[in-house]
Amino acid sequence: MAQMIANAIRQAGTNFVDSLAVFLPRMVTTLAIIIVGWLIAMLLRTLVRGLLGWLRINVAAERFGVAALLRTADLPPADALIGATVFWLVWIGFLISGIDVLGFESLQGLLESFWAFVPRLLLAVIILIIGLVVANFAWRATLLAAVNARVPSPRLLSGAVRWLILILAGAMALEQIAVARSVVLTAFAIAFGALSLAVAIAFGIGGGGIAKRILEHQFPEQQRSSADEISHL
Amino acid sequence: MVSVASDSLLSDELLHHLMAVGHVDVLVGVPTLNNASTIRSVVKAVHQSFARYFPRDRTVLINSDGGSDDGTPNMVRQHGSTDDTDTVTVSHSLRTVHRISTPYHGVPGKGNALRQIMTAAELTQARAVAILNADVTGITAEGIAALVRPVRDQQYDYVAPVYQRHPLDGPLVTQLIRPLMRAAYGWQVREPVAPEFGCSSRFITHCLEQDVWDTELGRVGIDLWVTGEALARGFRSCQAGLTPHPPGPPRASFGELFEQVVRSSFDCLERHAPYWLERNGSEPMAVVSPPPPTPVEPPTVAGSRLTEAFARDIENLRSVLEYILSAETLSTLERVASRQGAHLRFPDELWVSTVYEFLLAYRSGVMRRDHVVQALAPLYLGRTGSFLRQYSGAPEEVVEEALESLCRDFERSKPDLIERWNKSLR
Repeated sequence: MAQMIANAIRQAGTNFVDSLAVFLPRMVTTLAIIIVGWLIAMLLRTLVRGLLGWLRINVAAERFGVAALLRTADLPPADALIGATVFWLVWIGFLISGIDVLGFESLQGLLESFWAFVPRLLLAVIILIIGLVVANFAWRATLLAAVNARVPSPRLLSGAVRWLILILAGAMALEQIAVARSVVLTAFAIAFGALSLAVAIAFGIGGGGIAKRILEHQFPEQQRSSADEISHL
Repeated sequence: MVSVASDSLLSDELLHHLMAVGHVDVLVGVPTLNNASTIRSVVKAVHQSFARYFPRDRTVLINSDGGSDDGTPNMVRQHGSTDDTDTVTVSHSLRTVHRISTPYHGVPGKGNALRQIMTAAELTQARAVAILNADVTGITAEGIAALVRPVRDQQYDYVAPVYQRHPLDGPLVTQLIRPLMRAAYGWQVREPVAPEFGCSSRFITHCLEQDVWDTELGRVGIDLWVTGEALARGFRSCQAGLTPHPPGPPRASFGELFEQVVRSSFDCLERHAPYWLERNGSEPMAVVSPPPPTPVEPPTVAGSRLTEAFARDIENLRSVLEYILSAETLSTLERVASRQGAHLRFPDELWVSTVYEFLLAYRSGVMRRDHVVQALAPLYLGRTGSFLRQYSGAPEEVVEEALESLCRDFERSKPDLIERWNKSLR
């Protein structure tokens, strides 16, 4: 009996040592992958920030109005944000690779899923960036045109244009990464429809004067603005 | 020497016409686009000018048309056969007066028309060239002679016009373009955006060699560029007086006009920066023949109409202006707008810093360039309204002195502009 117990303990010990002999190198490999991955991710972040600095991405972000939106959202400047995104994408990739080396069955396939997700995530980020740029361009163009055409409430009008484009871009980005796809689509359809209806009703009820001025602006020979009353040259 | 460009710019028909004409002494060019209501008087003035002032010269009138559908080219061609008795009233030209009307090809715009006329002038080796504005009826034979003679007789290369007009008239010129160009180029040119000018064959050859013709500046801002090019490249320039021009019906709304003119002036300054960054102060430009003394009326618009929306515009555009203006200038603008309300006084110094900061923003590309210019329009209206109200009813000399003072303020602040311009290069 005692002999059996001793054998079992010995066997368990042997198994533990065998498992440890298998696991420890994997553990060390995992740690090495994670540490090397961190170093590579840091290096890439520095390189990307340097390259973006050389390309004057922050100036472009200012020019297209993206920087202002980033500041409003309490986010870092464009070069730091893109650098951080690259860092986390690379390091998470190494992290998952490292965990994969450990051979946990429940975590099998995580790496494949992650790498399958990355392109969609990148696409979503690109959609968001384009949305930000287009929204800001449309906002500024609308604001300037409305102010110069003497349309009432130019800030409200240009703000509405900007938010409509941002909401559209946000919905497209979320749809791309398949986050609660049906909820996002339904919410977007409801919000967009409600906003359009509200704008239409508001314009119909209160915007008669605006419509009149827009039409007058379109037909200047009938009603000239004060700026057109003098010969500027 | 004939430019290579002449092959593609001049149609076979035009080349045949020009070969028939041969070498000329005086060439008058008239770019047109739907000018049926005014072209007769322009052509008549050209004929009178040829007959009275250049009877022994070989002369030609070239009309470059941008595709008029109101019969403008026919009016130019037929003018002689129907109106010659009216046209040549004092004396007759001793030589054949050639009249050519030709369409130009390519992108519509005065630039292409002018390029075609200049190419024809180079081909015919014209000694003196005058470019006229087909939009006005006030051009006279004397005015055309005033543009041609300094080139033909005094070896000037470029002749800018001086109009007899009230100093409150043409505020885009007096408040913005004139002081800006004067401070930058260092020459006191009264009408830097004038559609009429005279020039020599040397200047024409130089202009045709430049790469401006296919640019936006060449298309819509060629008048300004020609002035800037003459000043920046050291061509011998002077001014000649013309009669007052009753303005024709506006071709563009204020917004379009403002954008075209201001963009062109900023583009010119950018192209000529190596020249004007080295210059300080300004020199008067010779006026070889003063404009005939004619009484002129001040504009009738009330300045308050232009300033009534100023405070609201500043408030609405704040989020755009903060990218363009320094914090100090923006806060001063806001203070001016809020304190003065309907009695707005837009000080000269503030206007100078505003314009210079817009120029710097335009150059550094803080946003799309058309947006920068559009954001300046309400500020210009505020400044113009303020000036008109302050000086309406004042004697002309007082207004002239105020405009001169504004020009000097632009000159005084130029070193600061140069410093910031150079800093933004690094």
